[in-house]
Parts: sequence; structure tokens; C-alpha cells
Amino acid sequence: MTAIEIKNLVKSFGAVKAVDDVSFSVEAGSVTGFLGPNGAGKTTTLRSLLGLVTPDSGEALVNGRPYTSLAAPLTEVGAVLEATSFHPGRTARNHLRIMCTAAGLPAKRADEALDQVGLADAANKRVLGFSLGMRQRLALASALLGSPKVYILDEPANGLDPAGIEWLRGFLRHLAHDDGAAVLVSSHVLSEVEQTVDNVVIIAKGRLVRQGSLAELTTNGGEVIRVRTVKAAELAPALEAAGAQVESVDDGVLRVRGLDTEAIGQVALDQRIVLTEVAQERSDLQKVFLELTEGR
Amino acid sequence: MTNLVKAELQKLFTTRLWWILLIVLLLLTGVFLAFFIGFAGVENNGAAGIPATDDPKWAQLAWTTGAQMSWIMVMILGVIMMTSEFRYQTITGTFLTTPRRSQVIVAKLVSGLVVGALYALAVLVFQALVVIPTVLISGGELSLAESRIPQISLGILVSTALYAVFGIGLGALVRNQIAGIVGAIVWTYIIESIFTAIPALQGVGKWLPGGASNALMSIDIDTGLGVPHWLPAWGGALVLVGYGLLFAAVASATTVRRDIT
Repeated sequence: MTAIEIKNLVKSFGAVKAVDDVSFSVEAGSVTGFLGPNGAGKTTTLRSLLGLVTPDSGEALVNGRPYTSLAAPLTEVGAVLEATSFHPGRTARNHLRIMCTAAGLPAKRADEALDQVGLADAANKRVLGFSLGMRQRLALASALLGSPKVYILDEPANGLDPAGIEWLRGFLRHLAHDDGAAVLVSSHVLSEVEQTVDNVVIIAKGRLVRQGSLAELTTNGGEVIRVRTVKAAELAPALEAAGAQVESVDDGVLRVRGLDTEAIGQVALDQRIVLTEVAQERSDLQKVFLELTEGR
Repeated sequence: MTNLVKAELQKLFTTRLWWILLIVLLLLTGVFLAFFIGFAGVENNGAAGIPATDDPKWAQLAWTTGAQMSWIMVMILGVIMMTSEFRYQTITGTFLTTPRRSQVIVAKLVSGLVVGALYALAVLVFQALVVIPTVLISGGELSLAESRIPQISLGILVSTALYAVFGIGLGALVRNQIAGIVGAIVWTYIIESIFTAIPALQGVGKWLPGGASNALMSIDIDTGLGVPHWLPAWGGALVLVGYGLLFAAVASATTVRRDIT
């Protein structure tokens, strides 16, 4: 069964269309990065998925059902939405215990979850004194209480220090790849999730821009070879004749698709043209991300 | 549902608010009791004032001391029970744990009733500890029936519990904590006081929660403004329960469908 399924989701707030016909799904055993600039509609999509926001149309299903119809939601879905949603005067342990009581889970789960996120020492401290990173960990602990198999995390890396981000990456990979959980993690900073995610869903201005595996996205449109030569004007038609698509970037530089470096070298040799540079162009994910989300 | 009520009580008892409000309530009740003791038997320009401490009417009056303060404090407590969920955004976690929101509202209302009743009990015990020795020391006799103590106690218990429901409903309606608290104080301390204390306004006042609560306690002591005319006790009970249902409906209607962003 598809762990998370979003079908033609639409949600407006007044005149603003926050989410406009977004569809995607997340399978068990994978980490999916839900990417987009701030205000793209990520949070609204995730809140619709969690029954906090009622969509205007479309469906948002977890394990095939709407979140609001789950009998024991904490045991099916773990969610991290905001690191700020704690009563400052309550201790970390009490915060989790209240959730355990309401969900009918044993109180010891609170301590186990705190242990898992490395907050055991702060269990009896009031949240008032917590750093943003500690609050993120506490939010993550609340998602772990019911040992669910689906995780929905909204910007969980916010406020974490580099060590914390590294820890989070490992933790999410462990949940998906070792425990077989489905993990959907949103971020507006690509580099936070780049090394963690298997799949990517990109939205901008409420609309789905691209979805696919990380590999598909980075080799978007095929590999590009960058060629530099003094005789660019002669080489370009020869490469095209050999089946390549050629784009002339500036004086003496061609961007070539459809041929590998060896084939390009062969064409140049046949034409007796000297190449001064032949290099595979790195399609940096950050660049792709910006291209995809800009101007929409 | 039992789990949800337990969770709501846990929410209340894991922060400091409950005992701060309780201490304030008992202190204020103590101040007013001291006033009733100090001015007992003093005539008010020749008219009847507060009865003397050996008069059964004094015990009756003194036994109602904590009523209004209980209503105010418990209504504030109810407002905070609801608004703090929005103020600290804990409502998100609450609804993630229990996505059927009406169940959360019912659990809050039930736990409000429980806590309101506990506050009322604390006030009643505190009053007993002051009033009984005062009456006995002054040579009076404490007659439960003549001073209507059982009925007043029951009235305080029921009305105070219901004021928690009023507070929860108000909190759900306004959502802003400060606005809710100010609203609760202005309503219970100023508006209701005016409409229940001034005889000319009691025609309206007897239909307000405060007037209905007075009816439930059936207080008919003239402290200088004339004998008040309340609804019969059962009528007061009906009016109070009606307000309770109204505020419960408000809490539910304003919370169940709204987007939590």
C-alpha cells in the first residue's frame, strides 16, 4: 500500500491559492524530500495530509485513509510540524507523557523516545530553557512515541547545528532503510536533504514542478559535455551531424548533449580540430533546484 | 474518552497555573471572610448591615464568601485551558494525537468540570475552617439547616464547576489569552456584579449565570440593598445548565472545523 498519497490537492486561503492541484506519493522504505522555496505550499500540503487543514478539493491519504479517520494515529504516523509548539512551563517528559496518555500508549514510551533523540538528560527540564535544536529533537521524539511506519516532517533541520543535521540525516536514513518506514521531509534548503533523500518532490507557488528520484533530477535532460575550442564554429555542425545537440555558450565554448567525451574527441580528430577542454558538466542539484523554482 | 480526560488533567497539573490560581482564590476568600468578620453586626446608617456572627444569617452569608471569587478564578482557568493551546500552538500536537476534535473538546469540558469542582471543594473546606470556629467562639450555634449550608455548598460546587465550562467556551471563541482573561474578569466581576447587586437590574440579572448561581444557593440576605428576588433553585439550575450547553456548543463550533495553520 502507498504510505502517503496526495491526489489533486487544492487549498486556498482567501484569494491566495496555497496549493494548486498537487499530486505525489511516497512509498515505504524511502526518504522523499519535499522541496520548495518558502511560501511554496509545503506546510499547507503537509497540514492537509495531517487533517489540520481541510483541503478545498483533492485527497491526502496516509496508509490509504484520511488522517482524521485513523483509529490510533500516533502508531501509524509520526509528525514534526513546528519546533515551537510546546508549553514553555512543562517539562519534556511531561509533554510526551500527555501525548502517551491521550493516545493510550504506555508512559515509558516517553523516556524511550527521549533516549532515542538524545534528550534523556533534559527529560525533567522545562521546555522554556530549550534551544531550538533541543526543541526539534523533542518534536522528533513526539513523532517516535507510537513507533509508526510513516513520518511526516516539516523543516526538521531548522535550528539544528551541523552536528545535529548530520545526526538527523543518519536517523532518517535509518528509519527508512533499516526500519522500512516511509519518510517525507520538507525543506527549503536543498543541501540539508541532498545527502539523505532517495526521491524528490519540488513545488513552487503551490504547483508541482518536478518529482522523481534524485538521480533522475540531477541528470535532468541528459549529461552535458563542455567543449572548448578555437574552431567552435566548425566543430558545432560536425557534432550535430554526429547526432548531438549543441549549444554555443560563448566564444569558443559549446555545451553538447547526446554524445560522450570519447565520441566528441573522435569527431574533433576527424575534423582535425584542436580541443582545449573537454569536461563533463556537473549538474549541481542546487542549480537544478533554483532553475526549477525560479520564475514560477 | 477516559484517556483524553486524563490527558487534559495532566496538561493542567504539569504547569504551575493551577496552584497559583488556587492560592490567589484562597487568599481573596480569606480577605473577604476577614471583612465579614470585622464588619459583623455593624449597622449601615441604621439599616440592616452584615448580621452578627452569632446570627445564623451570618454563617449563611459567610458561607457564600468564596462563591464569586471561585467563579472568576475557575472561569479564568477555563479560558487558559483553551487559549494556551493556541498561544503555544500545542493544539497542533493535541489534534495530531486526537484528530477527532469534538472528542478533545468534550474531554476539555469534562476535565474543566472536574477541576472546577475541586476548586469549589477547596474553597468550601477553607470557609468551614474559618466560619465554624468564628461562630462557636462568638457563642452562636451552627445550624446547618438554618444557615442553609448544604444547599449553599452544593450551589457553589455546581456553579463553580460550570464556570470552567463557560471559560473554555469563551477561550475557544476569542482564542487570544489576554482578551479571554479580561473578558472573564469584566463579565464575572463587573457586569454580573452590577446586574445581580442592584435591585432594579435584577430582573435581567437573575437570568445571568451569576444570578442563576445565586438562585441555586438561594441567598436571600438583605445587606442593605433590599432582599433579592432570584429564580427558584431548580430554575437557577436549569439556566446554568443551559449556559453550560451554550458555551460547550460555542467551544465545539469554533474549533471542530477551523484550519490549524
